[in-house]
Amino acid sequence: MKLKKITALMLASAMALSLTACGGGSDSKGGSDTPAEVNLDGDFKVSELNVKIWDNNQLDGLQKIADKWTEKSGVKVNIDVVTWDNYWTLLEAGVQGGDMPDVFWMHSNTAQMYMENDVLLNLDPYIEKDDAIDLKNYYEGIVNLYTRSDNGAHYALPKDHDTIALLYNKALFDKYGVEYPTDDWTWEDMYNAASKITEAGKADGVYGYAVNVSNNQDGWYNVVYDYGAQIITDDHKGTTIGSEEGKAGMEMVRKLLSVGAPQSVVGQTGTDSLFQSGLTAMITQGSWMINSFYTAEHAADYAWAMLPYADTNGNGACDKGERYSAYNGLGWAASAKTEDPNAAYSLISYFCSEEGQKMQSELGVTMAGMLGASDAFAAAFDGMDVSCFIKVEEEGDLYFRPYTRKTTVWEDKLQKKGGFLDAWQNPEDPAVMSAACDNAQKIIDDAIAAE
Amino acid sequence: MKKQKMSVAQKKEAMWSYLFVAPTIIGLVVLNFYPIFSTIYQSFFKTGDFGLGNIFNGVDNYVKLMSDSTIWQAFWNTIKYAIIEVPFGIAIALVLAVFLNKKLAGTSAFRTIFFLPMVCAPAAVAMVWKWLYNSQFGLLNNIFGTQIEWITNPKIAWISIGVIGVWSIIGYNMVLFISGLQEIPGDYYEAARIDGASGIRQFFDITIPLLSPTTFFIVQTRIIGALTIFDLMFMVMDKTNVALSKVQSVVYLFYDYSFNIGDKGMGSALVVILLIFIMIVTVILQAAEKKFVYHN
Repeated sequence: MKLKKITALMLASAMALSLTACGGGSDSKGGSDTPAEVNLDGDFKVSELNVKIWDNNQLDGLQKIADKWTEKSGVKVNIDVVTWDNYWTLLEAGVQGGDMPDVFWMHSNTAQMYMENDVLLNLDPYIEKDDAIDLKNYYEGIVNLYTRSDNGAHYALPKDHDTIALLYNKALFDKYGVEYPTDDWTWEDMYNAASKITEAGKADGVYGYAVNVSNNQDGWYNVVYDYGAQIITDDHKGTTIGSEEGKAGMEMVRKLLSVGAPQSVVGQTGTDSLFQSGLTAMITQGSWMINSFYTAEHAADYAWAMLPYADTNGNGACDKGERYSAYNGLGWAASAKTEDPNAAYSLISYFCSEEGQKMQSELGVTMAGMLGASDAFAAAFDGMDVSCFIKVEEEGDLYFRPYTRKTTVWEDKLQKKGGFLDAWQNPEDPAVMSAACDNAQKIIDDAIAAE
Repeated sequence: MKKQKMSVAQKKEAMWSYLFVAPTIIGLVVLNFYPIFSTIYQSFFKTGDFGLGNIFNGVDNYVKLMSDSTIWQAFWNTIKYAIIEVPFGIAIALVLAVFLNKKLAGTSAFRTIFFLPMVCAPAAVAMVWKWLYNSQFGLLNNIFGTQIEWITNPKIAWISIGVIGVWSIIGYNMVLFISGLQEIPGDYYEAARIDGASGIRQFFDITIPLLSPTTFFIVQTRIIGALTIFDLMFMVMDKTNVALSKVQSVVYLFYDYSFNIGDKGMGSALVVILLIFIMIVTVILQAAEKKFVYHN
């Protein structure tokens, strides 16, 4: 009898729960069905906006830009930083639970999924009426990324763009008597230098180069493109990592690994930490990380050079298609369920306007998502020359960071056993790397087929 | 048996008692029962983005999981972790509890010290241990002058993780044991002393049998706790750590499926398998209780 009563009670509460859940759902949906009137002239409904980002390095600069907007709009902006992994967990939970930040970053890994599920605010009605934004002024790859393919609508505005460069520790090069990297280095030159430093630095535990299998966009992807292969082809429907060119690129990576820090080291201490502890002379890094090295203890020893190139035609000069840098751009997006879309869009518009973009460069937050608004960035770091990040756009080629509909699925598998981790563990054996390329081809093909 | 009708006073009393247990019951239903059933439900679907647009696919998820060797490896990893954490965590805690149950100077200070790991956030504990274990800069290798790759050598890593688990749980087990020890009447020990039993003899013939209900409780809760371990592996092992596949637990894999890859159906199916496994273990333990637990 008792049991029966408890069950009855349980069922009753479960029912009540599901009722309230339904109620909440239909309410919020009703709100988003009727598009709010576009009005960008201020007089917003809300008194504050919640913004979520994942990069602590950018917090101060972005808050400064946001404060400028607050002066005009009177709406307070709270920027909240969450680590990369938690960011996506939180955002996804927010979509399911309905509690989303008003304005947040989008990334090429997940943008398509978020756009297709109507989670993001369609910005087109607002862009149309906004004089400050003309999509032609932004990097094409980034605009395309945040454009939904079936209806051509835009769901985020380009916040920034980034490129990759080679970072080296002058003190270590001096110590072991090796010449500094130059902008004319090939990957072979880099291999020779890394080899010398690793050999000479054995007693001190110093390595010439360190790259983890997870350093893809900022590491080995670039070598693959230099040798003529693509991680994801231009139509986002395949890969050429298993081709002859792909294998040639990864063979170069293998050679670099054989004179770099072993996987057991980079697998527990990040390459950035190794570099900042003076235990590796070179790493490759993206422009979004400059600030962390600029403010490091031994920043005076650090210098940047352009990424090395692959002299595939053997003429001793860097030709078109021989020096590639990945580029990626975050987007400022708003939640489809934000309380006041006008306020949310107005903030995004300010971040992406010429004024906001130039301020972002000047403050050294990141390079701009707007074409030609990044020049101030090179000068933002007094005493550290970061011009190579902009130079690589002029003297080399850029490719957009490889992405598909569900990027993380294959990206994760590439980094694990059965992917390239096997080759990272056995850098002495070319056959293992070659086999890993074949596995990678299959991993990516399968993942795309399952999307 | 014929049921008697309740009087008004009895009814009133019953209502009040339901009211008093209501917070717990509602909490259980909302936070435990509802998620359990929706997880089981989800495990039969190929889930869409954000859990929308699910497609029923029967036992496909289960079939896929069962044929994947990493799942079995993860189960084996989890069991290996439990094999370290449960017995060592209990044995060490018991010895400490016996010593700290005596009236000596400074016992409360020691009790506090041993309980401290329980007060720390597991994530913080894991971070500290991660750096202790670091093979290049770690304190352990620097003190002992060794070159051991504590967490990247697949043969050692599972033990290293287990040690953190033992360290974290000793304090909690110890407190339970101390309360259990205080339940044992002093007469038994007095009688034993008069009969000339040594301290060790007293420990094995009085303390251990009379403590068996407490021990059983700890064994049972810790086995379940160990089988659902996640945070240690997640915090200590880097994604590209070579040893990860030999250490990752079932719940770690669940996290990977559900949140990294975003396949909630597979993730759900995996925890349902874990749930069944834990149920079987619990049934076996309950059967064992009759045999090993001594009730006063």
